Amino acid sequence: MDSKPVVDGQRQAELQRAATPGVAAEHPLRIYREPLPAVFPAELRVPEVRLQTPAVGQRATRPDARLHGLGQTRYIDDMAFPGMLHARIKRAGVASARILRIDTREAEAMPGVMAVLTGRDIPVNSFGPSFQDQPVLADDRVFHAGDGVAAVAAVTEQLAADALEKIRVEYEPLPAVFDPLEALREDAHQVHAPANNVYARKVIRKGDVETALAASAHVFEQQYRTQMVEHVPIEPHAAIALWDANGRVTLYSSLGRITLGRADVARTLRLPVNRVRLVGTIVGGNFGGKNEITQEPVLALLSKKTGRPVKGVYTRNEEFTASTTRHPFIMDYKTGVDRDGRILARKVRLVLDGGAYCSWSETTLGKAAILSVGPYRIDHLLVEACVVYTNKTMTGAMRGFGAPQVCFAYESQMDEIAAALGIDPLEIRLRNVFVNGSSSPTGQVLDSVVVRESLLQAAERFGWKEGGA
Amino acid sequence: MITIRFVVNGALQVLSVAPETTLLGALRNQLGLTGAKSGCEVGDCGACTVIVDGRSVNACLMLAVQADGCTVLTIEGLATREKLHPLQRAFEELAALQCGFCGPGAILSAKALLDVNPDPSRQEVRDGLAGNLCRCTGYTKMIDAVLHAAQELRAAPTSAATHGER
Repeated sequence: MDSKPVVDGQRQAELQRAATPGVAAEHPLRIYREPLPAVFPAELRVPEVRLQTPAVGQRATRPDARLHGLGQTRYIDDMAFPGMLHARIKRAGVASARILRIDTREAEAMPGVMAVLTGRDIPVNSFGPSFQDQPVLADDRVFHAGDGVAAVAAVTEQLAADALEKIRVEYEPLPAVFDPLEALREDAHQVHAPANNVYARKVIRKGDVETALAASAHVFEQQYRTQMVEHVPIEPHAAIALWDANGRVTLYSSLGRITLGRADVARTLRLPVNRVRLVGTIVGGNFGGKNEITQEPVLALLSKKTGRPVKGVYTRNEEFTASTTRHPFIMDYKTGVDRDGRILARKVRLVLDGGAYCSWSETTLGKAAILSVGPYRIDHLLVEACVVYTNKTMTGAMRGFGAPQVCFAYESQMDEIAAALGIDPLEIRLRNVFVNGSSSPTGQVLDSVVVRESLLQAAERFGWKEGGA
Repeated sequence: MITIRFVVNGALQVLSVAPETTLLGALRNQLGLTGAKSGCEVGDCGACTVIVDGRSVNACLMLAVQADGCTVLTIEGLATREKLHPLQRAFEELAALQCGFCGPGAILSAKALLDVNPDPSRQEVRDGLAGNLCRCTGYTKMIDAVLHAAQELRAAPTSAATHGER
């Protein structure tokens, strides 16, 4: 298959014209309006390929900043509807167990408590962007301590919280696994048995890594680890559900991906998607942590049961225990270099702690594996990456999707190699970085590569040489 | 229920509150002043910051009954849409507000600081904002904004006192 993009004659001419200095202003597809601000030097007035765009260096104010500063922005928790109830979710507090029974009678009898919901009430009790392995509310099994096991809608938040205390859940404790390396072992507790704990793998091969390592002047081996990180948006997850008389549900939610969320909500409620209206509002911080549904189906069903709007706002505790986090990585690097610090071969093994559910782990795994060798020209590669279930808070999307973790590893090792060989850390990178025409670990030929220029400019700006390496 | 009387943004308010009602709850749920946010409910994040008798407080940790007889300023009392406080203008123009959730609290902490220390050092501004967590900005722009507003307030204290037409 020919992978070259199809460019017709006219388009090609346009692209050529755009790439020619001095004529880009006439380009029919130009996005920069004249006149450009006076702060720009004349020679930069027309953006050319690989030059900074005029937007860089300009001061811009956000259109929504005025109302933010006035305290007039309406986040979910600032909204209220007549008759609105407040929901709270009871969390398991145990990492691995079978639910024997849930007694909600005492909670239901409390004055002010309007409805109680358990996992049995959810029409399709599973969701997830890759695998639907996460229950909306745990019904049969608990897979991590933050699993919801029941929910309450009451006239005040305080009453809802009090009612949670009256719900009695009987558990049969089950074995659990918390360490991702232990979870890899054959005899380990299988979190979602009969499924294997390893729920996604990615392998990248290029050249002959073993031969190249054997031929290397020096071989460096090191393990790097990163920890679990919570996004901690200052606004906790929040949503309001309104189930109307015609069986349609409107959800206001702090969710970032409303189209995906709408489909997930419809699936869990077993409703056609056109019965679900999902309204995304201004979000008080997302960072990847608000990329999939959480309590929305619960609120919708509580609204259906009560005929009233129902609001749910996570507590800070729930943010840490019941929302996604960044994957902890265990990263083994073995790198062979020649006497001048040129990397000849690199072998990487990544083990991602996926927590109790898949969430965005597959995406994270793929990106981490591709980026794990760094922005360096290496002919012989082997990357073996996997993500495993453990009985911990689930891990999912967070800024970079796995890129920051591997960057910590390969750049740490670059420094170690530089120190061992007595090469300046900047110099060893300049000797190895991608250039135009380099190919990525998965074979993509790279264009517009400016790593070298960026490094040199950065080093000059912050005085790398003067500071001394 | 307990009756409390306090001045909020210049107007006398008489409320009947449950003993466990926080000042934050009373402001948000009873007075509809939702500018102060609930971020952690344990006094860590500062999103609920308001000014009580001239001092910045975490409204989530103060009971409404403790505000009886006090004077309270919330973000809604600082300016109107057309008349910005120099702090609000500086926060807007120097990009100190991204998602904005922590903004009202940070602005009020800064105001409480500048009211007692009109010429703070950068370190003093950092200390003044230490109780306000922000996950978007990395704080540098907020600190710049507070220093900028302080300068403006010192240059024109009278116009700033009336918030100055933009």
